[in-house]
Amino acid sequence: MKPVISLNFVDYMILSAYVLITIIVGYSLKKYMKTSEDFFLSGRSLPSWITSLAFLSANLGALEVIGMVANSAKYGILTVHFYWIGAIPAMIFLGLFMMPFYYSTRVRSVPEYLKHRYNEATRGLNALSFAIMTLLMSGISMYAMALLFELMLGWSLTSSILLSALVVLIYVFFGGLSSSIYNEVIQFFLIWLGLLPVVYIGLHAVGGFQGLVAKIPPDFLHAWRQMGSASKNPMGVDWLGLVLGLGFVLSFGYWTTDFLVVQRAMASENLSAARRTPLIASFPKMLVPIIVVIPGLLAVALLPQFKVVHGGPTPDYNSALILMFAHYLPNGILGLAITGLLASFMSGMAGNVTAFNTVWTYDIYGSYIKKNMPDEHYLKMGKYATIFGVLFSIGTAYIVRSFPNLMDYMQLIFTFFNAPLFATFLLGMFWKKTTPWAGFWGLLLGILAAATHYLLYQFHILHYSSEMAANLYQAWWAWCVDFVMTIIISLFTARKDEKELVGLVYGLTPKVHSDERFFKKPAFWGGLSIAVMIVLNIIFW
Amino acid sequence: MENTEQRRHFFDLKIPLGSLLGFYGIVLFAYGIFGPKDIYDKSFHMDINVVWGILLIVISGAFFLSAYLGRRVRK
Repeated sequence: MKPVISLNFVDYMILSAYVLITIIVGYSLKKYMKTSEDFFLSGRSLPSWITSLAFLSANLGALEVIGMVANSAKYGILTVHFYWIGAIPAMIFLGLFMMPFYYSTRVRSVPEYLKHRYNEATRGLNALSFAIMTLLMSGISMYAMALLFELMLGWSLTSSILLSALVVLIYVFFGGLSSSIYNEVIQFFLIWLGLLPVVYIGLHAVGGFQGLVAKIPPDFLHAWRQMGSASKNPMGVDWLGLVLGLGFVLSFGYWTTDFLVVQRAMASENLSAARRTPLIASFPKMLVPIIVVIPGLLAVALLPQFKVVHGGPTPDYNSALILMFAHYLPNGILGLAITGLLASFMSGMAGNVTAFNTVWTYDIYGSYIKKNMPDEHYLKMGKYATIFGVLFSIGTAYIVRSFPNLMDYMQLIFTFFNAPLFATFLLGMFWKKTTPWAGFWGLLLGILAAATHYLLYQFHILHYSSEMAANLYQAWWAWCVDFVMTIIISLFTARKDEKELVGLVYGLTPKVHSDERFFKKPAFWGGLSIAVMIVLNIIFW
Repeated sequence: MENTEQRRHFFDLKIPLGSLLGFYGIVLFAYGIFGPKDIYDKSFHMDINVVWGILLIVISGAFFLSAYLGRRVRK
C-alpha cells in the first residue's frame, strides 16, 4: 500500500527540531540529578502549572488520541463521557481528598503507601502487577504507533520504534522525572497546536458547526439523551453501567491510584500545589474533546469511508485522524500535526517509563532485592531501570506484532488491576478499621472476581449488549467484591495500632489549615471544575 | 537559601518552549509566504501556514514575555 501522507523537507525540519529540543531539555537537567528523590520525584520542587499540564499530558498518549478520535467516528458525542464524567469527578476527588495522604506522608510511590497503610504483601502485589502492566502498555502503544506510521507515512516499523524509544531513553536517562515532566509540558502545547488546524480547516470545509450538525446522524449529537437503555445508543451501554463502571470504578481507579498520573502530582513543590495539580488539569481535560471528538465527527461528515451505513463494511476507525490530516493539511502544518502525534506518543511512553523505574527501584529492588543501600546506589539503579524498561517495552512491541490479539486482552487485564485497587484505597484511607490482611486478600479477591466475570462472559453465561458494557460491569463487580470482602475480612483479622495510621487515614490525620488566598485554595478549583462539567453536560445533553 | 532557590526551579521551561514555538512560527510563516501555493487546494485556499505561523510567533512571544516578567519579580 502506498503511504497516504508524504512529508517534505519543511515537515522533517519541524519534526527534527522537536526531537532536538526534547534531548536538550533532558540533558540540561542532568546536573540537577543529585539524589534519588531528584531523579524519581523531581526533588518535590515543581510549580503546579507545570505538574498539572504534565499530569494531563502523561495520560494523553497517542493511543489515547487516536483511539478516542476513532471512538468519536464510531459513537459520536458519547465519547465525551470519557473526558467528563469518566475523569473529572475522579480528578477532583484525588485533589481534594486523597492527595493529602499521598503527599504529606512523604511516600515515594503508590505501592509504598500500601505498605504503610496495610503490609508488605499488599505492596508487593501492587508493585509487581503495576510494573509489569506499565511496561506492557508502553510496548503496546509503541507498536500501535509504529504500525500507524508504517501504514500512513511509509516509515518502517523498526525505525519508528527505535527512534521514539531512543529519544525517550535519552531524556529520561539524564533528567529522570523532571525531564519527563518538562517534556510533557512541551508535548502538551504541541499536541494542541498540532491538532487544532485540522479542526479549524475541517469545520471550514463542512460549513461551521451548523454544517457539521446537518451532516452527521442525530444520535451522534447527544451525550445523554439516549442513555436510557443499552439498545438505543451506538455504544450499547445504559446510563447505570456508564455511571457505575466508567464514572465511578474505572475512572476513580485510574486517576486516583495509577502511579503514572499520581507521580506527577507528587513532584509538586508543596501540598497545596500537589492538590491543585489534578484540579487545574481538570480544566484542559474537559476541553480535550475539541481536538479528539470534533475530528472524529468531521471524519464522519466529510470522509465518505466513515459515513454511517447500516450493514455496510466496518471502516478502519483508527485511521480516521491520519486520513483527516492527509485530506486537509498542506505540508508545513502537516509536519506540525505529525509532530503533535509523535509528541503525544512520547509523553505517554515517558510517563510509563518513569513510573516503572520508580516502582521498580523503590518498591521491588529497594525492598526485596537490596535493602538499605546508600542513596547513590538507588539513583544509579533508577538509570539502569530506565534502560531496562525501554528495552523491555521494545521487546513487548515485537511480541504484540506477532500476536495482535494481545492488544485487546491487555486493556482488559489493565482493568483487572485498577478497578479493585480503588476499593482497597477507599477503605484504607477512609475507614480506620480496615486491617492489613484484609487489604491484601480483598485486593486479590477483587482481581480474581474480575477474572471470573471475564470467563463467565467469554463462555456466554453472562450477556451484555456490547463489549464495552461487559467491561464496565466487570469493573463494577470487581470493585464490589474487593469492597465487601475487605470489610468482612477486617472484622476477623488483627488491626494496626492507631498510632501507626496517623497521616495515612482520614479521621486520624489533623486537617490542613491554610491561609492562602481563595484562588489558591483547592476547594475553590474543585468546586469550579465540577460546575463547569455539569454545565457542559447540560449543553450537550 | 540561595541553593534551594536554584534547585526549586531547575531552569525556566518557558524559554525552551518559547524558542521551539517561535522557530516553528518563523518556519511556517516563511514557507507560507515563499513556498508553493498549490498545496493550499487542500485547505480551501486558506494559507494555513501563514495563519498558524503568526499564531505560533504570538504564543512564543507571550512565553518570553512571561519568563522576563517572572524573572524581574523574583529579583
